[in-house]
Amino acid sequence: MRLARVLVHRLRSIFRRSRADADLEREIALHFEQLVRELVASGLSESEARIQARREFGSLETTKESCRDQRRVNTVENLLRDLRYALRALRTKPGFSLPALLSLALGIGANVAIFSVVNAVLIRPLPYASPERLAGISNSAVFAGQVFPDWALSLDMYAAYRDNARSFEEFGVWTPGSAAVTGTGAPQQVTTVSMTSGVLRALAAKPVLGRWFSSADERPGAPRAVILSYHYWQQHFAADPRVLGRLLVVDFVPYQVVGIMPRNFEFLNVAPDLFLAQTVAPGTPGSSDADYFGVARLKPGITLAQARQDIARVLNAWAAADPSWRQALAELHVKPNIHPLKQDVIGDVGAVLEVLMGALAVVLLLVCANVANLVQVRAQSRRDEFAIRAALGAGWSQIARQLIVEGIALAVLGGAAGLALAYAAIRLLLLIGPQDLPRLREISIDSASFGFALACSLVAGLAFGLMAALGSALAPKLRNVRTATQTRERLLTQSTLVVAQVALALILLVGAGLLIRSFAALTAVKPGFTHPEQIQTIRLFLPDAEFPDSARVVRTEAQILNNIAAIPGVQHAAFATALPLELEYHNGNPVSVEGKTPPGRIPPNRTLKQISPGLFATLGTRLVAGRDFTWDDLFQQRRVAIISENMAREYWSEPSAALGQRLRINGDGPWSVIVGVAENVYDDGVDQPPPGLVYFPGVRRGFTLAIRTSRAGSESLLRDIGARIHSVDPNLPLAQTRTLRDLYRRSMARRSIALVLLAVAAAIAVLLAFVGVYGVLAYTVAQRRREISIRLAVGAEPATIRALFLRQSLALVSIGAVAGLLAARLLVRYMASLLFGVPALDLPTYAFSALLILLAALAAGYIPARRAALLNPIESLRAD
Amino acid sequence: MPKPSDLLQGTLDLLILKTLAREPMHGWAIAKRILALSGDVLSVGQGSLYPALHRLEQQGWLRAEWKDSELGRPAKVYSLTRTGRKQLECELNSWSRLSSAVQLLIETA
Repeated sequence: MRLARVLVHRLRSIFRRSRADADLEREIALHFEQLVRELVASGLSESEARIQARREFGSLETTKESCRDQRRVNTVENLLRDLRYALRALRTKPGFSLPALLSLALGIGANVAIFSVVNAVLIRPLPYASPERLAGISNSAVFAGQVFPDWALSLDMYAAYRDNARSFEEFGVWTPGSAAVTGTGAPQQVTTVSMTSGVLRALAAKPVLGRWFSSADERPGAPRAVILSYHYWQQHFAADPRVLGRLLVVDFVPYQVVGIMPRNFEFLNVAPDLFLAQTVAPGTPGSSDADYFGVARLKPGITLAQARQDIARVLNAWAAADPSWRQALAELHVKPNIHPLKQDVIGDVGAVLEVLMGALAVVLLLVCANVANLVQVRAQSRRDEFAIRAALGAGWSQIARQLIVEGIALAVLGGAAGLALAYAAIRLLLLIGPQDLPRLREISIDSASFGFALACSLVAGLAFGLMAALGSALAPKLRNVRTATQTRERLLTQSTLVVAQVALALILLVGAGLLIRSFAALTAVKPGFTHPEQIQTIRLFLPDAEFPDSARVVRTEAQILNNIAAIPGVQHAAFATALPLELEYHNGNPVSVEGKTPPGRIPPNRTLKQISPGLFATLGTRLVAGRDFTWDDLFQQRRVAIISENMAREYWSEPSAALGQRLRINGDGPWSVIVGVAENVYDDGVDQPPPGLVYFPGVRRGFTLAIRTSRAGSESLLRDIGARIHSVDPNLPLAQTRTLRDLYRRSMARRSIALVLLAVAAAIAVLLAFVGVYGVLAYTVAQRRREISIRLAVGAEPATIRALFLRQSLALVSIGAVAGLLAARLLVRYMASLLFGVPALDLPTYAFSALLILLAALAAGYIPARRAALLNPIESLRAD
Repeated sequence: MPKPSDLLQGTLDLLILKTLAREPMHGWAIAKRILALSGDVLSVGQGSLYPALHRLEQQGWLRAEWKDSELGRPAKVYSLTRTGRKQLECELNSWSRLSSAVQLLIETA
């Protein structure tokens, strides 16, 4: 209460200062008049009384000032005055303030931008209720010594967990996919998520309209249910609420619309148009594909470790029903992998972001070092000013306060500019929208980013302000500023700053250099296909409802291929269940080889593809031995296979020795004869080792067309292709129309983002270091002008003087370079996951980076050194 | 010109609070009352009186308002607030402790 009154009083005194002063004036005037009146009453004349009263009264101004002091408005007022003064100083000294503001804006802006991304992606909790209780569930397994942490679940495992797990409040599984929607105009390809009823319940995400999936929707034979995304509802149903209950034909099966999800609902990192209810047939273990990811909401108070124990128990009980499954679980070390759901959303982008955040923190340090240097130089040139102020009675604390206020004003202005820069950068990032970045739409400059920017500014400002204040403490009194030699302490701080700057810049240079080398190594990889920019890809799906038997599927696909091959300019056309790098249609199975796989053991996993003849010619994949498939192989369903070179070499010394050998899927399928060996293909991404591949002749309902033509990617080609496909079936939607080059690029995206940003950071760093070295040298030259002039006057060679300063800059930079190399050696291991084909201690990169920084420093030092050598001794000595 | 240091530190506050405890009054009257009650010994100059008044007002111990006065024009009249009364209690206690201690020292030393 009292505090409030005191505060109100003080605030009022600040804002109504003139009024308070007038009051004071009146109050004291009254007192004075009273005194005069008393003196007149004691017999003095009016004028004598006034003189006498004034004498007794003392200084009116002192009293007023002292009253104001009592009102304690002065602290605030002084601060405001310091601030005004600081702003004026910044405005009138653009030579100092512009570089300082610019580097602060760059440093803080870059940091805030990346922080906003890190905050949205890594730090902020998932946008669901009590996200800490959400878990993602898959299986981990070990195959031939390799650990696969993210094996999907099968629907039987789902049923087992749903019925027997005790630690889940809600649990469901989902799988992403795509589907065709027909019957509402042109057929559309939509992205879908098939899910059991527990998934949305676990996320606690309620539809805005309609209902959740229920367990009744899971039963086979029940009418199938679909929930629309808000976006799809807006686009295709004009947000009409009467859509509930209507039928939507998805892959030629009618689904009833039961709900609409809210506008801001994000399903993990997929953005599906439709949510389809997954039906679950009661079955025996192993009777369904393992394609599903689990989402669970743990019961309150249950830890992940407890849940892991719980479902491990369920998994073992489930496998016990079938001896072959029990054996498989034991042999493959299958264990439930239950982890925070966030991990599923973020994926492996965390490493990139952490490296970037680290790099930008280094840039900010550099900026601070640079600005501190500038502030220091400026404080030096203001020594006279401070000395005069001190002589006039300003205490050290007042001068220090002034310097700190100046530092903070500078940093806050720089931070504000940085915030604007970060805002622009984020807009740009959202516009470009790198697909690999999860939670992209959640990125924004929010209060956390704002706070971060403010914290950066205040800490930085306080740092240079304090540094300058401590510097000024050395010269509080008027000293003889006309000394010929420099102050040693001042130069020491500056030299230390330069050494630090060079070291920091070198760390970033080494990091960027290693990434450039990784990128070069990646592009040098022969991916197993040629000229990906000439290969058009299109994804098609032939639904069961329209193409009930496989014979019709084969005929239709062959016909589509024939039609497309006839398009002018098309050199080759073929299809496969998945093209290289099409990770979303990835498929793998254990493959045993006759006479090579010990019986009763689970053989290594291979990537399987069903392909049409001509695929190798289309992609430019070389056949190392044997032959390609023929259409007869496909139509007559011959048991033949082509394997990749690395798999052939694994079993036989020569690829040609593989021809005529037999292999089969799992341990019990029919045998197929190897008729060809193909060049290795980097199917999992250029940065992953090429997998062992097994090709079979054949078709699937879902397949990707590969078309080699110089017209790839053009609008006219797509129109031609669309016409040819729709002449076979007008209901088929075309999806994923892109070139193989897009896929190739995407597999490098993670590194290319990191590379570009780190290269920019390194460039900024080198520039800052350049400015830093230049600044210190130029300052030293200015300080030692008298000394140099005397030396020149007594006959020193200009070359000697130049060498003197160059030697000094070289010495500083060498120390910085050694420190930087050592630090880089320690720090690069944090970016090991981003490196490819280059050791973390790659000598050429280190040597080249060090050379670069040395050259930059020499260049920066040359200008002031040359100026020193060209000094006219007569002029500069006279100038003093 | 008497300065605050002429009086024992903090004593002026006590004198003002004690004077105002009886009735609200303006600055001139406070100075006169202190002079009269101390038998013309303690003369408080405006240079210490007004800063002290403002300080006490700032602390929330005094309240001030402009009122018509016997001087013929409006004067700034100070009165004790509730917390000011409490503060007076405190100051009186510590004063009597101090003065009896000094007394004791003078008598026995």
